[in-house]
Amino acid sequence: MTPLLNAFACLLALGCASFLWRKGSSPYRNGALLAGFLLLFSVFTYFGASDTVVTDPSLEHYPFRMLALCLCFSTTSLGIYRRRYLVLAQALWCWVELFGAIALYYRGCDAACVRIAALAGITFGSTFLSQISREMEFCLMVFWMAVWVFF
Amino acid sequence: MFRYLMLAGLALFLPGLFALGYAVLEGPSAWMTDSRTFWGTPIALFVFWIGLAHAGTLLSAIFLALGIKLDRRTALIAELSTLVSLVFAGIFPLMHLGVVENFYMVAPFLDARGNFANVRSPLVWDFCCIVVYALLSLLFFTTHLKARVVPALDRYCKPMAWLLFPLVLWVHTVVSLDFATTFVPEWRGAFFPVYFIVGAILSGLALVNLLICAEGYRVRLMERLQLITSWILCAIWIWDLLFKGYFCTSAFIFAVLLPQFRMVAVIRESRAGRIFFSLSILLGLFLERFYLVSPLAGVPGEPGFGLVDLGLLAFSLGGFMMLFYAARSLLNESMEGAGTYFGEVDGSDMANVEESERSREKTHGLTLSYIQPWSSEEYKTLRLPLACGFSVALLFVLWVCAQLPFVGSPYENVEVILVNVLPLSYPVIAFVAALVLACKAVWVDKAVELGRNSYVALAVALVALAVLAGMFYAGGAASRPDAVIAEAPQYGSEIVDSAHVQFVWNARCAQCHGVDGRFNDKFIREYYPVPQKLDVARIDSLGLDSLVNVVLDGRVNMNPYRGRLTESEARALVVYMRSLAEAP
Amino acid sequence: MDRREFIKSCSLVAVMGLLFGCRKSELLGDIASQFSVPELKRFEDEVKLAMSRAKKSLDLVRVSAPGPLKIPGASPVNRFGMAIDLDLCDGCGKCILACNLENNVPLVPAEDATRGRFMHWVEMRGNAPLMCAHCGDAPCEKVCPTGAANHTPDGISAMMYKRCTGSRFCGANCPVHARKFNFNDAQSLGLARQFNKEVPLRDKGVMEKCSLCLHRLQNDRLAFKTRNPLSEWRGRGVKTACAEACPKNAIVFGNWLDPESPLARLAKTRILYAPREVAALDPSVVFVRGRR
Repeated sequence: MTPLLNAFACLLALGCASFLWRKGSSPYRNGALLAGFLLLFSVFTYFGASDTVVTDPSLEHYPFRMLALCLCFSTTSLGIYRRRYLVLAQALWCWVELFGAIALYYRGCDAACVRIAALAGITFGSTFLSQISREMEFCLMVFWMAVWVFF
Repeated sequence: MFRYLMLAGLALFLPGLFALGYAVLEGPSAWMTDSRTFWGTPIALFVFWIGLAHAGTLLSAIFLALGIKLDRRTALIAELSTLVSLVFAGIFPLMHLGVVENFYMVAPFLDARGNFANVRSPLVWDFCCIVVYALLSLLFFTTHLKARVVPALDRYCKPMAWLLFPLVLWVHTVVSLDFATTFVPEWRGAFFPVYFIVGAILSGLALVNLLICAEGYRVRLMERLQLITSWILCAIWIWDLLFKGYFCTSAFIFAVLLPQFRMVAVIRESRAGRIFFSLSILLGLFLERFYLVSPLAGVPGEPGFGLVDLGLLAFSLGGFMMLFYAARSLLNESMEGAGTYFGEVDGSDMANVEESERSREKTHGLTLSYIQPWSSEEYKTLRLPLACGFSVALLFVLWVCAQLPFVGSPYENVEVILVNVLPLSYPVIAFVAALVLACKAVWVDKAVELGRNSYVALAVALVALAVLAGMFYAGGAASRPDAVIAEAPQYGSEIVDSAHVQFVWNARCAQCHGVDGRFNDKFIREYYPVPQKLDVARIDSLGLDSLVNVVLDGRVNMNPYRGRLTESEARALVVYMRSLAEAP
Repeated sequence: MDRREFIKSCSLVAVMGLLFGCRKSELLGDIASQFSVPELKRFEDEVKLAMSRAKKSLDLVRVSAPGPLKIPGASPVNRFGMAIDLDLCDGCGKCILACNLENNVPLVPAEDATRGRFMHWVEMRGNAPLMCAHCGDAPCEKVCPTGAANHTPDGISAMMYKRCTGSRFCGANCPVHARKFNFNDAQSLGLARQFNKEVPLRDKGVMEKCSLCLHRLQNDRLAFKTRNPLSEWRGRGVKTACAEACPKNAIVFGNWLDPESPLARLAKTRILYAPREVAALDPSVVFVRGRR
């Protein structure tokens, strides 16, 4: 995955996130969207991979990381229980990264420790948020993007 | 109805029991194992049942934790199905072992008996996670069940649900790591944790839907979730296909394609249709696990599904039905007299309840003033237990990792880093936290009165645990009594010269006792508990003859050498050993 | 008798049947152990059969010469290994038989043989012998739950049969499938023969694999240490059974860290290869072909 496509993946996740959890939307719509996004991310990873997917183990969970990022973005537009779902979505991302890294470590790849540590840190930190203002939302999104692109 | 289901279960279970006995006796050659992965049916069944075991805690705990309304009857059914599934999920990994009686070596009992489970192995994580999960699920179920009689217990349900929420996901993640950490080409996949969790959720939902169909009612929320989960699982399978070029068509048909007929109202509204969806999903997911565990199954030249495999399947299916409905009717009687209901049902249509719940929440949400972080009631209850859990887990991780630099430590030859022990951390946290929470509830908050019987049971359990621990620590004989000792070359004549004694000592004894008679610490610590120090006073007090007998016939961990050493050699060795002990 | 009682007694009977079935049948065991041990001819035939069914492909990639092990506690002076000279090897299979006789590798029943499930520690792949590569970063050892698969300080991926619980995880995780599982009780089936008293017969239900003739190294070390307790043992002069049996001397055993070892000398002038699957795992047993 080239850095440019990697950054584009982040934007794609952001774009997709805006469709989730619209007011009054049915669980069917959200479920279908989630499945559809996952499919979209899979296809994106498959064709965007600079090498074939088969030879680069670190791409194995790439679509799932994108989905987790998408969920993180989508929580900022929630009406209620925002902090709870924000923390849960970040925990999911952390989870995907951590266990993906463990699986890859056993097969001889290096773990992205900084990314996991940063995510764990922000997950823990965001439990202390009392009220998520627009500025705070923006900060969080920038942080996630930074984690995605740079770590 | 339930009686017939129980009898049907029994009819499946009994032949299955014979298949199980045969499989244990015969070993892994009894069932289908493909030549690549060596595992076969029991592990496929294990993954299947551990997936089903997520139904209860997932639905009950996660819904409770996230504030999604589920009636108590459904929740209790789901939790009970978890416990019963766990029984079978626990049996299969044990019975699939080549040497079943050595199973305890997998448990990381620190370094008791000089046995170190290799904490780097996903199987050890698995073992710990499942044990902790089983204990906590049992505790959660009991709390939930008792909360009807003892309302004070109600406030512990939600904190426990929050404790179980990560644990249930953790268990299945660790199960997926059994596969994802290996070099088997079909098992490549850093995404396996999510994949397995989604699969487990789908199978769990299907099971609970099936069980409540048998009860004669339905929960629309869970049927919807079942459909949605099948879409997501389908997306994951497509990624698997893109990435490995491998697709399990039969699983796709049964678990994804057929359940889509739920969109047809006629089928959806008939009970048979709903039962069919659930059964179809369960079958599809079983096939999927089966092909995942044995990627070569069905390839020409590899053996197919045999009678024993069917027997094992029947054993678990029948056993589940039998145990579940037996427990259900038993609890029903003790709870609510001879009523048909298990738990409460308020009679209102669940969909209406959901709707009103949602609208109430909406209006409530708009006026929601902000909540201080870390201020919820659940958190306050969990604060102390979690702190204890975290500190114990931290100590454990430090203990394991810090063993590394010391020479002579059990892990001296093993590189253990944080990645290796991290998967063990949450089960430790959850276990300690639940223990502290239970103690707090009983003795500090006095939420439940323990009767005399409970105290007696607790004492008996503690004593039994202590006895078991003691037996484990003391261990048994190192060599089996029926071990055949082969004819061995006999050394020399009756008169044993000192060079020969020294050679025999170095060849036979020095491995443990050391060339200089001081122990070869590394070897002993790795393989055996540390034996008695042999100083002159002790040798003399034991006497020459008894030591010769020890050399010839063995004692505790000392192997017998009769047939491999002559008696005169043994005598000479004892004299030599005394001279070593005398040396400064 | 009411229904519940009936069910209860039914299940009791079933459980007793199960227990009875699990009981070790001493009578049968006694009769079986009196069978004569299998003849040498059967071992030779089995090797021929296994060779005729061998996989044809062996995908090799270049590797560099193995250095000291990176695991803690590893010896800085010894790391035993082998090199198989593909320019000399003609795939005669004498090494397989020699290994079987040296290590008391049991025969398999006819049913397993038709499936190609042999116990041979050395097998033919692509007309060259392939055995456990004794990887420095061995995947089998990482996943063994009991620590029965473990590294010796001298670089041998060793197997402790008594600690093996038979979870077969190591076998699944070995990229070249070098590990063999004792599906059968070869001793009571009359399929095992102890040609070599120094190597124990393995029980049913444990994993086994190439040990680099560990017992030969141990004997040499004990003898060496008895004679010169203070000097460093480098395992000079030891040869594995397969290396000894090779008529073309295509198998070279030695110590990678000992410059005087034939192995280290060979590595200086030849190009080293390893199977693609284990090339990244720091293998100790490699193939050589061509000259630098």
